[in-house]
Parts: sequence; structure tokens; C-alpha cells
Amino acid sequence: MPGFDFSNYNRNAALHARGVPLPKATSTGTTIVGCIYDGGVVIAADTRATSGPIVADKNCEKLHFIAPNIWCAGAGTAADTEFTTALISSQLELHSLSTGRKPRVVTCMTMLKQHLFRYQGHIGAYLVVAGVDPTGTHLFTVHAHGSTDKLPYVTMGSGSLAAMSVFETQWKPQLNKEEAMKLCSQAIEAGIWNDLGSGSNVDLAVITPEKTTLHRGFVKPNERTQKLKSYKFKRGTTAVLNEKVIKKEEMGNYISVVELAEETPASGDKMEVDT
Amino acid sequence: MAAMFSQNPLMNGPNYSFNDAPRTAAPEGARQHRFDPYTDNGGSTLAIAGADFTIMAGDTRLTSGYSINSRYHPKLFKIGGTTADQKDATIVLSVVGFAADGEALKERLDAICKMYRYRHGKPMSVKACAQRLSTILYQKRFFPYYVYAILGGLDEEGKGAVYSYDPVGSYEREQCRAGGAAASLIMPFLDNQVNFKNQYEPGSGVGHALQERERKPLTRSEGEVLVKDAFDGAVERHIEVGDGLQMMVITKDGIEEVLLPLKKD
Amino acid sequence: MFMARSEYDRGINTFSPEGRLFQVEYSLEAIKLGSTAIGVATSEGVILGVEKRVTSTLLETSSVEKIVEIDRHIGTAMSGLQADARSMIEHARVECQSHAFNYNEKLRVESCTQAICDLALRFGESADGEESIMSRPFGVALLIAGYDEDGPSLYHAEPSGTFYRYDAKAIGSGSEGAQAELQNEYHKSLTLEDAETLVLKTLKQVMEEKLDAKNVQLASVTKDKGFRIYTDEEMAAVVARLPAN
Repeated sequence: MPGFDFSNYNRNAALHARGVPLPKATSTGTTIVGCIYDGGVVIAADTRATSGPIVADKNCEKLHFIAPNIWCAGAGTAADTEFTTALISSQLELHSLSTGRKPRVVTCMTMLKQHLFRYQGHIGAYLVVAGVDPTGTHLFTVHAHGSTDKLPYVTMGSGSLAAMSVFETQWKPQLNKEEAMKLCSQAIEAGIWNDLGSGSNVDLAVITPEKTTLHRGFVKPNERTQKLKSYKFKRGTTAVLNEKVIKKEEMGNYISVVELAEETPASGDKMEVDT
Repeated sequence: MAAMFSQNPLMNGPNYSFNDAPRTAAPEGARQHRFDPYTDNGGSTLAIAGADFTIMAGDTRLTSGYSINSRYHPKLFKIGGTTADQKDATIVLSVVGFAADGEALKERLDAICKMYRYRHGKPMSVKACAQRLSTILYQKRFFPYYVYAILGGLDEEGKGAVYSYDPVGSYEREQCRAGGAAASLIMPFLDNQVNFKNQYEPGSGVGHALQERERKPLTRSEGEVLVKDAFDGAVERHIEVGDGLQMMVITKDGIEEVLLPLKKD
Repeated sequence: MFMARSEYDRGINTFSPEGRLFQVEYSLEAIKLGSTAIGVATSEGVILGVEKRVTSTLLETSSVEKIVEIDRHIGTAMSGLQADARSMIEHARVECQSHAFNYNEKLRVESCTQAICDLALRFGESADGEESIMSRPFGVALLIAGYDEDGPSLYHAEPSGTFYRYDAKAIGSGSEGAQAELQNEYHKSLTLEDAETLVLKTLKQVMEEKLDAKNVQLASVTKDKGFRIYTDEEMAAVVARLPAN
């Protein structure tokens, strides 16, 4: 199988048998949900990524792009959800190009389950697949071992029970868009508050036949509180044992310098820094 | 010290790789039965000793696995008072780890303090209480109380005293100590902000001649600010810490208790 | 039916119809046969003194041990059956060590005395048909001297398990006369040196033998030096200081 490198498998199995633990993967102990409404489908996710009991990312993205009309919410091993959705996204694009049709949600779901089944659960991706295609509005779940479900409302991840409790008490047929968005958001919040694997914000995506709207930070109920004290240090507080200054003009002696015409602004979220 | 179990992945919460570790070969048909009496109930504690006060603090969340069992389950206990509400107590015990063991340990130490008062006609000093707690823990050397305990009070001279323990009774008097789930997050902060570790006096010398920043005793309000900021930080990055911050300040006038909110996600 | 007093003086846990425990009362008699022991408490410390009753010139006087250490800060003088005192002292020593181990502090003198009396009271103790540990009450009384956070103190413990704190106390065969003497001579401002003299002077009055540096023993408990038995030289010095008569 191209893509995966198994050359260290035997070595790692031998080490593991002697008690060396496997490296810990970043696992998105997560709450993800999806809900169909009259005229489209909504999916939502929390934004906490954990590594064991430590919060690895307070505002990660768990809503993955597959196609303009198909989106995926991922739980499980972060790398697996990331790569699996990206892989299927690209395959689906090629498929769409060669067939000359818009991609279908069932196709996406089938490709995902076949890929995951082949790896017998070792690819730890647990997904909610949602989208609108010429055949209608669809909502699926795909488990790491390859099983799938098709339901009007779904939840997955460590917060799935908390989220499902909201659906089971509030859901009704024939929801409108606003109701579906509110319901999904409340379901995610149930996970945020009651499941330790989930936290921070609610991300939400609404997919309709016309367009997909991604609401990044749909609800932000966990803004960081201001520290009571300033932890700025006086310049020179850190010990410096020795110092060597390389002037900008001399930089060319150590590395190759290429002057860029225009400075491109850095993309992505800015890191939070104490002031 | 105090790191006896922290490296044990079994006790560090969810960790798939260790549980999947292959068992050593057993004879055909043999089945191993295991007794798992411990749960890690998460949470964190913190204590700072000042010149004439001691601050004890702990979050109030009680967890098991990814679940919150309680958003208000105190980890701080007043010890050795003469009444049921402990209003005349002078010693505070904080316990983190396995909540049931913590509760049992607190009951036991408190009962011993009461017996001591009856037998010897005087309240127990923190020093005596600290030694007794150590022997209680060591008595269960081979079936330990799975707790990281911190004992706080005022010593014979009226100075703040903090004693910290590992689960089997090794103990030490310290200026400050963090315990529990977020101990590894809070302790370096305390080292830097209470004992000024890794801080030097700017321009006081070159290379190794650089002077360390001089330690000065913390005031009570400075201590309280550090405690709050430490927990706000821990809450951001540790899933088992949150909901409420319980804080007790021990002075010659008694024990003041404060409860503050923490993030609940 | 035959009902003599002797019916009630056998069982150690049987009251007589008048409400008396004869065996306990007899044990107090045993003490009255013992050598005299005196304790005097001052603000500086406590002095213990005993007569050694050297019954034979062939007796090695240094082998007569009637004052012993319980802990660094507590000592005791005994009168009565010395062998019984051994087990009481052993118990007290264990109690002191246990307290230091558990609490990282010295056991208080009163607590130590209480511990000894707890043991003294365990005669007749036999639960669930088990064999009892002691067949009879102890036949010895102790003067327990110590120095703790409340300063110096002197206690008297009896086989009945009761104890009292005293400024000055005499036990043993000459106790009646000695106690009367102490009553007259004791005052709060005694120095340690005064107490040494008072103890020996009182012993001298009630002893049958002529008092010398060999047939009496002194010990002191002070804040700085703790419990200390006087050396032969120190004994000689104190005896020399006594007014001759």
C-alpha cells in the first residue's frame, strides 16, 4: 500500500513487547455532532485537542473540508482525521473530475469506510460526514473500523453521550435552519461543559444546496481570564553566559540571504501571549 | 520526592498505549485476576508559606476518566479543631489523588488530633501533626493511601509552615508546593515567582558572576494573587482542573476560607 | 454459709461488700516495706533521692538500681518490688519512644505518668476467657520526675493506677516521717542545691543505717541536662555539705 511506511514495524513491535510504550498521539477527545434540517444539514464541533490530560490546542479546527458541498467533523487521533479527510477529499476531487459530476456524500462515505476498514481500526478516525448533493441532504457517521450509520441527528467522540442527551430531549422533525444551528450548538456545549475531553469553543458549519457557511467560533463561552499580575521581567533577568553578535551584513557568511520584494503577512492564529 | 507515582502511566489518566501493553506469558488456561482499588480523581492543590501566614488552595473538581463527578468536592480540610465545624482549627490538610483515600486520611488524622488533645491536654503543633501524618502514611507502605498530601499551619514561632508528602510518607518542610494533576504545570511557576529561581539581578555581573535575584518574603495579597493566577493557568491547560478554587489562609487569628469560580469546560 | 474476709482478699477483681479491693490495698502495704524514696520539685528542676539499703558488706552497691532513666527528660525513683518496676519502666520507655517517633516531640511528664498508670491498672484484665496478662497488682510505687514544655514536675504513681502531682513526696518504709519533714521544710523558692540537701537530710532522718555517699543515690532532671544520676564524686560532695549531727 503506498503512503504508509512499515519499515519500523518489526522493531517497534519488539520494543513494545519489552514494555516500551507507544508514542502518545494527540487525540481529539472530542464532541462532534450533525443534524439534518429542512433545507440542509448542520455539523458542529468543539475546539479542544488533548494529549492525555493536557490541553494541546485550545482552539483547533475539527471541521474538515472534503468538497465545497461536503464537510466532515472528526474525532479520534488528530493526525488520522486530518490525513484521512485530506486523502479522501483529493480522491473525491479526482473522481468528480473524471466523472464530470458533483461529488456525492455517499461516495465520500463509502471511500472513507473502505479506507478505514482496510486498516482494521488502526487509523483512529471517527467521523461525521455531512453534505448536500444532487440526490439530497445526507448525514453519516463513520467509525474507525469501517462501520457507518445514516441518521437524522448524530453525535460522536468522548462527548457523544452528553451531546446526544440534548438531541434526545430537544430534537424534533422539521427543524428550520436557526433551530438546527441552535440545537447543534447546545449539543456541543453539553460536551464542552460535561466532557473533559471537550472544551473551549463551538465551530459550526451549515451546508445548503446553495452554499456552505462555516461559523468558526460560533459560540465562545470560554475566553481566557485576565491574569491579576503582570509577569513581565526586567530586561537582563535571564542569565547570559556568553554572547556573540552577528551583524546583518555578515549574515551572508553563515546562510544564503535572498531579499524578498514584499513582506507577506503571516497567516494563521496568533499565539496568545501574556502581557 | 513526591514523584513516586507521577511517572506511572497507569495512574496518569487515559493512556491507551500502556493498557495495550502485552501481558507477560501465562501458562495455558491460567487467568490473572486483578484488584484495582484506586482511581485518580484529578484536581490540583497548592500551598505557600509566608512570614506569618500560610495559604492553602485546591480546585473543587472531582473527575474520573473524562467525566466530572462533582463540581464542588473540597480538597482542603481543617484539622484538629474541637468542634464539628472546625471553627477553632489551626491546621489545614490538602489531599489530591484518590478522593476516597483522601477522605479516609483526613478523618484519621483529625481523629488522632482529637485523641492527642484529650491525652495530652494541649492542641497538636503543626510539627507534631506533620510527623504523625508521615507515620500514618508509612504504616500503609504496601497498600498506600494514594494521595499527595500537603499540611499547612503556623509553627511554634508563628511563621507559616508547609509540609508536603509523597503517598508513602516521605515529607519535607517547604516554602511552597503544588500537588496533584497540574503540579508539573504550577510548580515551575512557583519556583520562579516565590523563590525567584532562574531570575538574576540585571547588570549585577557578567557570566557566572551574575547575582541571583534576592528572595524577599511574600505578602499575603501577593501570595493570593499568585495562587489565583496559577490556577487560572492550570485550568487553561489541564482538563482535570476547574470549576471552583477553594482557598484557606491560616493566620494567628484563625483560618479564612474563600471560594472563587474557575472555568467550567 | 461461711463468709470470712479472706474470701474477698483472693480475687484481684472482686470487691468486698464494703467496697474494697484487698489485693490492691495489700499492694500498697508492699510499698511500705520498700526502701524510702524522695522527690522534690523546684523551679530549676527536680531532685530524686533513694536509700540503697546495703544489707551486706559483700553487696556491690553500684548494682542497686532504684533510680532509672525513662527518657532524656524523664526519670523515676521506685519503692517496693523492684522487679515489678522493671516492666512499668519498660512500658514507659516504649511509650516515650513511640511518642517521639510519631510526633517528633517529647512526651509530657503527665502523659508518661498516665501511660504507666494505664499499665498498672491492667491487673485482672482478661477479655473473652483469655488468660490475663497480670496475676496481681504491681507491688511498687514510682516517683516520676521530668522536665517538659511546662517546666519541671514530679508525679507519684501507685499500683492502684492513681497518680498525683507533688511539690515534694516521700514513699517507702520511712515515708510517713519523711513526708512530715518535707511538709515543714518545703517552700517554693528552693534552689536545686537546697533540694539536694533537703532530700538527703530527710533520708538521713528516716534511714536505719547511717547515711553515707554509698548507701544513698541522687538524680536530677533539669532543662539543660535532662535526667542525670549523680556520680560518686557528686554524691560525696553533697553528703559532705550536710550539717553533721
